[in-house]
Amino acid sequence: MQPLRIALVQFAPRLGVLEENLARHRELLAEARAAGAGLVVFPELGLTGYQLQDLAAEVAMRKDDPRLLGLAAGTDGLSTVVSFVEEADDHRLFISAALLEDGEVRFVHRKLFLPTYGLFDERRFFAAGDRLRTVDSRLGVKLGIAICEDFWHLGVAETLALDGAQLLINVSSSPGRDLAAIHEVGLGTAVSWRTLMRTYAQLTTSFAVFCNRVGMDETISFWGGSEVIAPSGEALFTAPLFDEGLYTVDVELGDVRRERIGLPLLRDERPELHLRELRRILAHRTGLEIDEASEPTEGGEVGPPGAKAAGRRDRRP
Amino acid sequence: MSAAPGGRQGEPNDGAGRLFELPPELAIDTAIARRVIVDFVRNQLRQAGFSRGLLGLSGGIDSALVAFLTAEAIGPENLLCVLMPYRTSSPESVEHARLVIERLGCASDLVDISPMVDGYFGRDGQPGAAGVAEGEASALRRGNLMARERMCVLYDRSVVWGGLVVGTGNKTESLIGYTTLFGDSACAFNPIGDLYKSQVRQVAAAVGVPEAIIRKAPSADLWPGQTDEAEAGFSYPELDRLLFWMIDKRRTDEELLAMGFSGPTVERVKRLVATSEFKRQVPPVAKLGPRTTGVDYLYPRRRPGSARK
Repeated sequence: MQPLRIALVQFAPRLGVLEENLARHRELLAEARAAGAGLVVFPELGLTGYQLQDLAAEVAMRKDDPRLLGLAAGTDGLSTVVSFVEEADDHRLFISAALLEDGEVRFVHRKLFLPTYGLFDERRFFAAGDRLRTVDSRLGVKLGIAICEDFWHLGVAETLALDGAQLLINVSSSPGRDLAAIHEVGLGTAVSWRTLMRTYAQLTTSFAVFCNRVGMDETISFWGGSEVIAPSGEALFTAPLFDEGLYTVDVELGDVRRERIGLPLLRDERPELHLRELRRILAHRTGLEIDEASEPTEGGEVGPPGAKAAGRRDRRP
Repeated sequence: MSAAPGGRQGEPNDGAGRLFELPPELAIDTAIARRVIVDFVRNQLRQAGFSRGLLGLSGGIDSALVAFLTAEAIGPENLLCVLMPYRTSSPESVEHARLVIERLGCASDLVDISPMVDGYFGRDGQPGAAGVAEGEASALRRGNLMARERMCVLYDRSVVWGGLVVGTGNKTESLIGYTTLFGDSACAFNPIGDLYKSQVRQVAAAVGVPEAIIRKAPSADLWPGQTDEAEAGFSYPELDRLLFWMIDKRRTDEELLAMGFSGPTVERVKRLVATSEFKRQVPPVAKLGPRTTGVDYLYPRRRPGSARK
């Protein structure tokens, strides 16, 4: 199989200047094409900048916006992930990432988890997406696309892998913080992300691609450090911290098969068990009764001891 | 240029003895700090449509470090350092400031603020505009006026120089409120406002601020012999550690006491932080209209079109 050349576009968008960022995307896309890339990944909100606040509505585009379609038109023979503020038909605003392929907008992922704590205030300005789907790509594999905070929630990468993704892509605008001398790279945020991406790649036995922006919005600086991790968890490439650049990495997509044959973690996943236990947990959290019939009845009773559990057992025929 | 191994153990060593005391939990990767700050200065100026900056150079470590980092960001030819001594200022302050200017090769300007301060508070038995005789105004009033006269000079010079005023206040003094509102805290942006004094020292050592400046006791130099640590009653390493655990690491009072901080010190520092909250925030506006600045009119400072043409 021909290796896939992935281009990580670790660049600094200009805050709120959509036209300029669009032009920059077109240039960088051309550059990636010239470099022989088959997959080009731009960072979260690369088309708008991150710290938008009330500017969000002013730079929002519908997914059929001519400006986005214009960008897509330049993707013949390429898979490209770009990120923008998406305005839905009902005028909710989402942080979205679109897969542009062969001239069209093939798929849009809306950020599921909007951090609203610490230095983050996303929920104030954006709506959260509520669909997590993989997408068939022209690359011959399914892609699992997520945005920044989505990967700070365990189930996301797992769900994407179970849904068939062989290549996980996380696009980020991760602000650098927690500066210290005790970390391996001196920046707490970078250490955390390295841990996450290696873990997801290894546990889902998939390629994991992380594209993080650089530059500054207001007071925060984005640290870059984009990466490509092999299905074994091995880092194939780590971009420098803070440096703008278009970095290319060649991967053998066939490594996914090799890894999954040798280490069949995904085969051994137990989604039905998760589903059952999640239903139970959800029922408990929402105060609804548990459907006892769906629980194991033979052998070791694993339910909690006590009057309530005993009472429920008594009601059984 | 990472922290030297010695630095990680809190014992930065210049070969001739300890340069300064660095609590280990405050040690940072100075290469990253330098990179972020230099980018920050460059971005702040560029996004505002400026290529030049200026700052008040006191001869102390904070403004010396900002001068070094600003010169690195925009080139020394785009930096103006303004020396603004009062007649009772320590001569050493001006000497040390000159050392920085020579080292960087940047432009400088000296403005004696004595006539401005004396014109207000009086001198030689003559009352000033404030209507008090010399020596009658408290040290606090005099210190505040000096800081604000310096602010006036900087903002006036900024018009002539065509640059923005770069702030030089550190995190420690900001958190305990050891600043003059609209005085030394006034600036267009502040590159070192998230560095504790101990971290300022660490970065200063890494970028080559002259040792004499790193070594000397920090002072606001508002009256002869004044030092920050004598005035505050605790050392910077101790204060920095306490603030770090209290604020950055959210430790409770009980946990702080268990860590060995003294009860009265914890109480006093907590009070200083709480009572100086007003100095760290934009003055509040009474909410009346549909959209109010800072409340529900929230735009990035550097929004499109905000730069000077």
